[in-house]
Amino acid sequence: MVGGLAGMTGLTAAAAGGDGALAVGTVAGPWWVVLIPLLPMLGVVLTLVCAIFDVRTKAPAWMSVACLAGSFGLAVLAYLELAGGPTAVTFGFRWIDVAWGDGPGQRLSADFAFAFDGLTCLWMLFVTGLATLIALYASEYMSHDVGVGYCRFFAAFNLFVFSMACLVMADNLVLLFLGWEGVGLCSYLLIGYFYKKPSAVAAAKKAFIMNRIGDLGLLMGMLLTFVQFGTLKYAELWPLVEPYVAAVRAGHADEVPFLVGLIPVLFMVGAFGKSAQLPLYVWLPDAMEGPTPVSALIHAATMVTAGVYLVARTYPLFLVSEWALPVVAWVGALTALLAATIGMAQFDIKRIMAYSTVSQLGYMFCGMALLTSVGGAFHVFTHAFFKATLFLCCGAVMHGFAGQLDLRRLSGVGLMPGWRIVGLAMLVGCLNLAGFPFTAGFFSKDMILAEAFVTPGPGYRAIGWILLLTAGLTAYYTFRVFFRVFVGPVEYVPGDEHHGDEHGHHHEEHGEHEGGQQGPAPEAHGHAFHPHAPGWAINLVLALLAVGSIAAAGAYFVHTEHHGWVGHLLHGSPAEPTHEAAFVDAHGHGDGHAEAHGSFFGLDPHKAMYFVSSAIGLLGIGVAFGLHYLGRTTAATSRADALLPKVGPVARWAQGKWYVDELYDAVIVKPLWVLSHVLHMFDKLVVDGLVNAAGWLPRMIGRAVRPSQGGVLHGYAVQMACGIAFALVIVWLMTL
Amino acid sequence: MGDVRPLPLGGAAVRRRRVSSVRCLDGALDAVINPYLLYVGLALGGLGVCMALPRRRVSPQVLGAVLAGLGLGVVLLGLGLRSERLPNYNFYIFSAIALGAALRVITHPRPVYAALYFILTILASCGLYLVLAAEFMAFALVIIYAGAILITYLFVIMLATQAPSEGELEALAEYDAEARSPVAATVASFVLLAALTTMLFGGAGDLRPRDGAGLDAPIEMMPQRAERSLHEEGLIAAGDEVVGVDAAAWTATLRSGEVVALPASARLTNVERIGHDLLAEHPGSIEIAGVILLMAMLGATVLSRRQVELEDDAKRRQSERLAAAGTVFADREANP
Amino acid sequence: MSVSLSLAQASLPAPMDGVTLAHYLVVSAAMFAIGLVGFLTRRNLIIMFLCTELMFQAAGIALIAFSRFHLHMTGQTFVIFVLTVAAAEAALALALVVLLYRRKDSLSAEEWAEMKG
Repeated sequence: MVGGLAGMTGLTAAAAGGDGALAVGTVAGPWWVVLIPLLPMLGVVLTLVCAIFDVRTKAPAWMSVACLAGSFGLAVLAYLELAGGPTAVTFGFRWIDVAWGDGPGQRLSADFAFAFDGLTCLWMLFVTGLATLIALYASEYMSHDVGVGYCRFFAAFNLFVFSMACLVMADNLVLLFLGWEGVGLCSYLLIGYFYKKPSAVAAAKKAFIMNRIGDLGLLMGMLLTFVQFGTLKYAELWPLVEPYVAAVRAGHADEVPFLVGLIPVLFMVGAFGKSAQLPLYVWLPDAMEGPTPVSALIHAATMVTAGVYLVARTYPLFLVSEWALPVVAWVGALTALLAATIGMAQFDIKRIMAYSTVSQLGYMFCGMALLTSVGGAFHVFTHAFFKATLFLCCGAVMHGFAGQLDLRRLSGVGLMPGWRIVGLAMLVGCLNLAGFPFTAGFFSKDMILAEAFVTPGPGYRAIGWILLLTAGLTAYYTFRVFFRVFVGPVEYVPGDEHHGDEHGHHHEEHGEHEGGQQGPAPEAHGHAFHPHAPGWAINLVLALLAVGSIAAAGAYFVHTEHHGWVGHLLHGSPAEPTHEAAFVDAHGHGDGHAEAHGSFFGLDPHKAMYFVSSAIGLLGIGVAFGLHYLGRTTAATSRADALLPKVGPVARWAQGKWYVDELYDAVIVKPLWVLSHVLHMFDKLVVDGLVNAAGWLPRMIGRAVRPSQGGVLHGYAVQMACGIAFALVIVWLMTL
Repeated sequence: MGDVRPLPLGGAAVRRRRVSSVRCLDGALDAVINPYLLYVGLALGGLGVCMALPRRRVSPQVLGAVLAGLGLGVVLLGLGLRSERLPNYNFYIFSAIALGAALRVITHPRPVYAALYFILTILASCGLYLVLAAEFMAFALVIIYAGAILITYLFVIMLATQAPSEGELEALAEYDAEARSPVAATVASFVLLAALTTMLFGGAGDLRPRDGAGLDAPIEMMPQRAERSLHEEGLIAAGDEVVGVDAAAWTATLRSGEVVALPASARLTNVERIGHDLLAEHPGSIEIAGVILLMAMLGATVLSRRQVELEDDAKRRQSERLAAAGTVFADREANP
Repeated sequence: MSVSLSLAQASLPAPMDGVTLAHYLVVSAAMFAIGLVGFLTRRNLIIMFLCTELMFQAAGIALIAFSRFHLHMTGQTFVIFVLTVAAAEAALALALVVLLYRRKDSLSAEEWAEMKG
């Protein structure tokens, strides 16, 4: 790895626009950084052009892959040149700049400027890398929809990557918010890709609305930040926040104003909305209605990590409040446990993976809150790889078995010819997720688990035990999926999504794979069903991702003085130094936290965790093996079914997702419906009534006055005479 | 011939003494006269007029007329009691005729008679003008109004009256036979009248006629008029010219410088005064009046040449009427 | 002025030898009111115009009375113009009435009620 090239600024030909005044601690970045988000934007334009011209080949996919690969290449270049140095800010163009006074808090300035530091590098690498690979996967996965839908998919896909890049690379909160909203929009567009399906449309709406609730929190946090500190640029903001952090560290937490302490709470709300934590997590399982590449990229690896990124990026603000981080920790822990329990009882494999995403996100938030932002970010990194692998394998299964995802109807898929790579990739992913020793997931989860027993805080040890329990449950349900679907007797029931003639075409394409695929008793629907194994694109991507998941473990072993490659990247970003400093004072050490204080049954937690979490993981795998592999002869049943009556209603509740959706429906949705009806009535009766009355009044007056216009001359004459008489009487009275 | 009878205060003082007995009643009577007597009189008059208006059934027109007259009498009596001077009997005669004829104008069902009564009203007004020493206007009224305008009205009335059918020679048009909303009209008009007369009773009309000193001032602009008058009276020789006239001293200055007193016949007559006033103070109005008359003449000519077709409804009515008339004629022929 | 005054008032017993403005104005007002009643009551178009002429007459009496009382000729001069205008108006009004009669074959003012409502 290239070490820090401090002071390397690169070309700044077009970069130093604007006022040229860079904040303290930053240098001007190279101009080509702007291309990292612009290439996906170019992809959007190209795919839309394809849509206009009704291109019916896979050209949009190749164009997208090319643009995203270019973006990834530039991200790698940026990593090589800029990581380890000071933050490099590249100025794009002046976006918002209004001033209503000359004072410090009276100018709102937000530019399209991109700041590159270690945290950004980390995120951009896996975002663009995964985006490229998943685009390649989607080129085959979505191939049945070639035409306008295909172009629409890739346009939204590219727009998503652009928004995510804006979010991650922003140098101010406003651009981050733009990216935040953009990813929310693209999530909506992509979840609702199959817009003719009512469930997909409902899921898209649900996702968007719950995101919006979070966005409100984030927006209010931003506004409050501006009001309190007068700026929204990170580089200018952190020096202003520093005094408050110092005050908290010194124990004078009461010196921090209430409003400043409110900011991290609001940011939290935003993060929980985007990253599907309690209580705003219910949208993520429903978001599985979208195509699998979408689930893999957005709802596993990138968008949902935006919340974690927000916490990491605005870490100093979280350190300002005494109880912001503990709240984050507890929410994360509880979410992890809850999602794991729900995942244990579901049958739809994509849903199970979704709940596992929610659970792992809980881990990441815990990591952030337990003062190991390195652990949290490392878990983000590894999770991106193995969760993407898992989702894409589920997608391959779905693609090959006409949309069948129920694990009671599939078995032994990994043993079929042509499905070897899928099976192996799935195994790799499951091992990582379960925390099998020496996998990347094992190391990243370990860092978080250990820290729970080390960092002082309210109930953090209990959090540690909760996380351990969750790790066990995670291992169980992950391998439940693997042992049910990918190994065991080969049996399958196809799903409902026959694609008509295209299905026949794919038969010819993959004819050589289907040589001996007749498993026992295929329950055909009218005509003989042949599952079609994935093509080269899917296999290639799965292989690469599996390799990547394994290789990610290696990141743990470099730069050990900073706790791994991730720690090395985070060093120098706002997420890290304050952590160290805070940790130093909390522990009274001056040299980082290589030595642990705190104990786990008298042992050093870090070392102990290696063994304890391995044990728990292997226990979970073993239970799954026993219940779901041994003695299983059909796809539909396993030994677990015999245990169900003993568990009682708990299993049913878990399967019903603890009825959280129903609770929200009763407590929030229904009252809002009632309110909306009431207001509708009010609108119709009162508001419309007033308007109608305003129209009714002139009519009434007219009707009352009309008889005086008889049309006959005498009537008018009498009226005139009366008028004259009246006037004269008045004149006479006035002379009295 | 007497001069202008002066109306000095002395005379008034004399008269005041004579009517002082009447006058000291004024204070006590005033409370009774105004407003009660006034309004009673007006109410009577209104009632009378209302009753006098034409109706289809038997209507108490005569009684109404009598009541109206009574009402007027009461009002005038009240006025007379309040003031110390009364107009002479000519005034009463002419005003009675004028108002009576006016009442008959509005109450007579036949249009031709109404027009004729109007002529009578004009003649009575003419009399009033004479009492008020406006001779020229009196004659102008007769000539122009009664002699031209009313004759035109009569022509048009006769032109526009439908030919009576055989059986109903004396039938009235439906629109003439009955008054329209008599009560409302009477009330409106008499309220107006009440307001006006109350103001008069309240003192608006108590102007004393002024002394006529300035009336002869125009003669200063008419030296030849003075000259002619002097000639007629034989006060100057034939060749003398008057070069200046002094109205206040009532003398004329001759060219030779001699100052001669003007005779009484040099007093300007009413016609001369009106003429002078017209030309000296209202020259523009004369022109405008001429233009108005010209426009009226042109307008009348244009209008009368317009082709207007009978309306459908009216055609139907006409044919029905003619048919009815025809049957009557047929009957008459069949049954002589 | 001299002739009429002497004629009218030469040998009258006091106090009936003067003129008072109020009397003449009452007569004028009464005639005006009668004319107004006639205008509002009669339906025959021509008689209606005749009643307006009656109102003109009343105005004339008032004007002459004022002229006598203010000893100023303008009142009488103005009556000349009133006469002029009355003549012009009569001519045009009667021409219009004739046209209206030709249209409806009736002199009733109530036939013309098309502006009802």
